[in-house]
Amino acid sequence: MDSNEHAIYRAAIHGDREAFEMIIRSFSRNLFAIAYGILQNREEAEDVVQDTLVKAWKSRWRVRDPEKFPAWISTIARHRARDLARRRRPEPLPHDFESSEAIDANRENPDLNSEVQSALSQLPELHRMAVTLRYFEELDYAAIEQTLGLSNGALRGILGRALGLMRRKLKPALASLT
Amino acid sequence: MSTIHEQIDELLAADLHGELSAAEREAFHAHLVDCAECRRAFQEEKNMHKVLNETLSDKKADPAFEQRMVSRFRDRVPQRPGLIQLVTNLARLRAVQLTAAAALLLSMVQMGRMLTGESLSRTLPADDTSTVSQSVAANLFDSGATKSAPGARRESLAPTKTNNEVSHPDQFAVVSSAPTSGVLAQNPAPPPAQDKAEFQAPRTKAKVAEFKDEQAKTDSATTVAASEMEAPASTPSPLANRKLVRNATAELEVGSFEEAIQKITAFAAEDKGYVATSSSEKQANGKLRGQIIVKVLPDNLDRFLLKLRGLGELKNQALTTEDVTKQYFDTESRLKNARLMEQRLIEILKTKSKDVADLLEVEKELGRVREEIETMQGELKFMDSQVQFATVTVQLAEKNMNIPAAFLLKERAQLSLYATDVEKSYNEIKALASAKVQITNAQINRDNTGRVSAYVYMLIAPEESEAIITRVKAMARVENFQVQTERVSQGGDGLGENAKTERDKVTLNITISRDEQEQSLQQTSLRIRSSEVNDKTKQLRELAEKQSGRIRSSSFSRDPNGRESANVSLRVPMKNYSALMESLNTLGKVENVSVHRDDRPNSQVNEADAPADISIQVYSQGNIVSEETGVMATLRRTIGQGAGALMWSARMIGVALAFVAPWALALIGVGWVMRRVSRARRARKERAGEDGAK
Repeated sequence: MDSNEHAIYRAAIHGDREAFEMIIRSFSRNLFAIAYGILQNREEAEDVVQDTLVKAWKSRWRVRDPEKFPAWISTIARHRARDLARRRRPEPLPHDFESSEAIDANRENPDLNSEVQSALSQLPELHRMAVTLRYFEELDYAAIEQTLGLSNGALRGILGRALGLMRRKLKPALASLT
Repeated sequence: MSTIHEQIDELLAADLHGELSAAEREAFHAHLVDCAECRRAFQEEKNMHKVLNETLSDKKADPAFEQRMVSRFRDRVPQRPGLIQLVTNLARLRAVQLTAAAALLLSMVQMGRMLTGESLSRTLPADDTSTVSQSVAANLFDSGATKSAPGARRESLAPTKTNNEVSHPDQFAVVSSAPTSGVLAQNPAPPPAQDKAEFQAPRTKAKVAEFKDEQAKTDSATTVAASEMEAPASTPSPLANRKLVRNATAELEVGSFEEAIQKITAFAAEDKGYVATSSSEKQANGKLRGQIIVKVLPDNLDRFLLKLRGLGELKNQALTTEDVTKQYFDTESRLKNARLMEQRLIEILKTKSKDVADLLEVEKELGRVREEIETMQGELKFMDSQVQFATVTVQLAEKNMNIPAAFLLKERAQLSLYATDVEKSYNEIKALASAKVQITNAQINRDNTGRVSAYVYMLIAPEESEAIITRVKAMARVENFQVQTERVSQGGDGLGENAKTERDKVTLNITISRDEQEQSLQQTSLRIRSSEVNDKTKQLRELAEKQSGRIRSSSFSRDPNGRESANVSLRVPMKNYSALMESLNTLGKVENVSVHRDDRPNSQVNEADAPADISIQVYSQGNIVSEETGVMATLRRTIGQGAGALMWSARMIGVALAFVAPWALALIGVGWVMRRVSRARRARKERAGEDGAK
């Protein structure tokens, strides 16, 4: 984090609205990616970002260290999104591959888009967020790690695992493409 | 190579995302050339990367997203007015919270100081307490000359402690901030601390400024200042013109009072002083205590006090200085005026001696002015004498003032007696009175139930006490005897090794009560069956009297069936108890013997004389068939019970009637009224019908 960003975060924590709006402009896309990663629904994700921003503004004085501001606000977004997902789906998503493969097999002509969606939805939550952050915003690994509050270098493994899982999942669809 | 193969997922993703370092990248691509499997995976991954980029770019936030977020944020969180915003923001800052807490604490401290009366006047160095101004001057001098704040502080705090006239915080603030010009550069204080200091004592700010000015002066001309500062100690200076009254008091503990007095007199003579008064007082333990007032020249006062310390242990010392300069010169100028007035009055008397009344008036005024002049002259003289000599009051006390001179052994005895004839014992005890046995209080009480008690208080000479107490004990039965001894030290407290012990008179308090009231040592109850109850009871009385027993109560009763019983309770001395019990066997069959004994292990009671209570029931058996049994009695009882039951049910019927009757009457009444109403209505209708027919 450079000193400029640091100063902006500090000002926002101290109640500077302009600084906070600047953060909204630069950071709300990341929040959207996080929320989408959990919810996989654009309207809901947008609502979550809204709520997250308001909540962050109201309780900004809780953040003592400006360094931790991005991770903190991301955590709020994650919690909000998870709450919403739980309310929407009383039962957690089926993570067992068999049933979803059965669904895939039943589908007559699965287009690539929904294939990708379903492959994405079968990843663990953290992996989903990493993928959306990377492919929505093209953030570099360090920025994603900072946003998600991960330690240095942890993301490489996570993204590698995520893409590997998806690759194996999408193999037939990809084969048909080429 | 194997590691690359195992980590292929991670490396594939990182490569496509451009996150591999150059070395990793090279190694990875080298592996791809070698490994067909990985090459395939790489191809797939590349395809998927492309697909993901295409599909997911549709899903990401649209370009207007940020603007939407900002405007919605503005809608949902309206901007608060600036002041409130500022206040809430401030309140959330930790620094502000800390400052507020500190301010609260300080204000509480300040309030506490106000409440406990640490008044401001005490903290301000007043003009007439020259000691304070001296110490402050010393501070300035030190800081100006040596420019070392810690040193200055140490030296200034020392006099503060001994004087007890300056409160510490103020002194501290002055010292720490006075040498700012010299020290601040070396030891810059943090701004908040300075703020706090100013907050705590705003007055010091002004003072600091004042001292800074003086500081500047001393800096500019250090040598001049130094000579000025040293001046009061040695050469005549402005101080010489001042009229200062110096007084000192000291309290000393010395080995020998007389020696100390002599030495003090010698010291006074050395310092051109004299002993004004001395007094001494001898304590009960032979130690001396006293006071000596010495007048010495003020310049020699300090030396004299130092010498005093050599005499013994200094308990406390105080030195006060009073500046009477203003008072002195005021009086002097008033005296001058009064003298002028006198001159003019005399002139008036000389020139205008015409009117007698005027003359008298002038004479009167002259007298008043002269009186005033004399008073003022006296005052000036007194002040001169006060200033000329310093007064030193020395309290002297010899060591070990508190050792007692002697001990007094006080003995107090308490004796409770039981006597058969209280009055006789009372008179006997009273007859013991003599020169060495004095009765201080004696009283005999007899109430209307015949209970008698008496008490005698006496003082006995110590050598007689043993004999007298033994004699009194022999007169009656002793219930209780207590002796209390107290050692009272005289003329001090603590342990006196050499003090002698003396026996004081013995106080003896005797109470006498009738032995009837004494609790018996043993209680026995028994029954004797006999056909002639009355005769046997008479015999029993005779037996008891033979064994010197006394009947305490007796009763006789006969019931309708002819059963007789007599209850006798009597008291015998323990020594005759068994003999009496045996003789009771001659009366009849002894039954149901129960014995209860109260042992009193620690009492001084003589057991042979102690009383034993025996209660005896002599009874006979009456008729075998009583009035209450038999056919007739059964019949009588049955009829009685039947009649009782009949009466009871009749009463219940009465109760039921009383309960129901009012309700029944009310119902009947309501029914009657309703019938009347309906009949009246019907009649009216009929009448109306008849009218219609007409």
